[in-house]
Amino acid sequence: MVQQYLPAIPSLYGARVLILPLVFLCSAVSVNFATMLVLAFICGFLWDAQHLLGEHGGDPDVYTHPVDSLRFGYSIILYAVMGLLMQSIQPLFKKGVWHISSLLAGLCIFLYLFAEYLIINFVRGDFTFPSVTFYRIYLTGAVTMLCSPIIFWIIFQLATYCRYTIEYHGLKKHPKYTNTCD
Amino acid sequence: MKPLNLIALLLFIASTVWVLTLGETTVRSIQKTFYSVISPFIRGGATLETTAAEFIQEAEHSKIWEERYKLAKADLDQTRMEIAHLRKIEIENAELNKALSFKQNEPFQVLPAKIIRRQPSTWWQTVTINLGENNNIGVQLPVLSAEGLVGKIDTTSPNTSTVLLLTDESCQVSAKIDGTPEVGILSGIRGRTGESPLLRLNYLSKGASIEPGMMVYTTGRGGLFPEGILLGTIESYESGPLSGEALVKPAVDFKTLKIVFVKHTNPLDSPRLPEK
Repeated sequence: MVQQYLPAIPSLYGARVLILPLVFLCSAVSVNFATMLVLAFICGFLWDAQHLLGEHGGDPDVYTHPVDSLRFGYSIILYAVMGLLMQSIQPLFKKGVWHISSLLAGLCIFLYLFAEYLIINFVRGDFTFPSVTFYRIYLTGAVTMLCSPIIFWIIFQLATYCRYTIEYHGLKKHPKYTNTCD
Repeated sequence: MKPLNLIALLLFIASTVWVLTLGETTVRSIQKTFYSVISPFIRGGATLETTAAEFIQEAEHSKIWEERYKLAKADLDQTRMEIAHLRKIEIENAELNKALSFKQNEPFQVLPAKIIRRQPSTWWQTVTINLGENNNIGVQLPVLSAEGLVGKIDTTSPNTSTVLLLTDESCQVSAKIDGTPEVGILSGIRGRTGESPLLRLNYLSKGASIEPGMMVYTTGRGGLFPEGILLGTIESYESGPLSGEALVKPAVDFKTLKIVFVKHTNPLDSPRLPEK
């Protein structure tokens, strides 16, 4: 909903603050693995529902080579990959080093858009990467990263309000028994 | 890996596969529901964007006069387009009567709409207009301006619609070059969306006599766009080993576009005459 109030900035090659991915990334670093996957699914689903184009339509005898569109749901996978990247620095975040998370959020947005553009090129063929596209990806990552401290601040406030403690559990199973022979 | 994480991962994979295999109808249904829910926020965001843009221009123009100008411009554009179309019908009528075979044209009706938001998506060349399902706007309807074809409706919500612009790669139009028998498919070019976006006209004849400045119109084939709508002018032509390709400068200035017209046919308003 907030994303609808954030237009593209024409003077910055059409870059914009991507608030939904940013909220997801900031949340991904502060929750456990299972919750991150749930968030990735919801955010990716909503993202595709808003942004995916419909089929071309028209007479297939005339439009014999329609431009392939992306599959609904591809963003879910990209969100999950971004979430995994963010989870990798959870120990640092737990120690209070949120600056790294902020930088990584910007990098993740850049990688997400770059991957999305590569997928478009892969699906449609004829790879092109004009400088305008690079600037749009880069500046979108940069302006979104600048907003990340605000999102982290809101998350910290919510965590305090809900008495939630950010803990690092990791993916590895903790051993039930410890070797005390030594 | 912890059992809970493993279960979550398996559930995630299963859910993602399910979503990836959804059919087009289901996806459109999901999108329709999504846009129905989010429509008030789109309008709110668009209002905020418009207000901000108008505030910047306030020093140069009086708001009242600007509103009046917009209304007058919309009326003028609509009239110009209708006159242009009437002239086309007049010529067509004369030709058909001459051949003693009269066939009635489809009623050509347009609804003026205002562009309320530009580039709502990162990659696709789209704009949002202030008409939706409540105004009988449906997907795939052609969108025009006084200068020529703008694009087509991609998604709708009760009060807004997304227009896929002609400059987008996925908006294909069956086109013909005026004064030649050449017919091809026109579409946008990926990445060419800056100050001067160009269009690509594919599947032309090899070695065709196509000169810069020639006009490109819609053919009316394919069931999406009406015939005789101006698309642009030829910038250059290149003949390949199998077919030719031309670069086309669009007739519409997409950067300054504010008012567009959605073409729709309503058979109830104009009863169809029997074919002779």
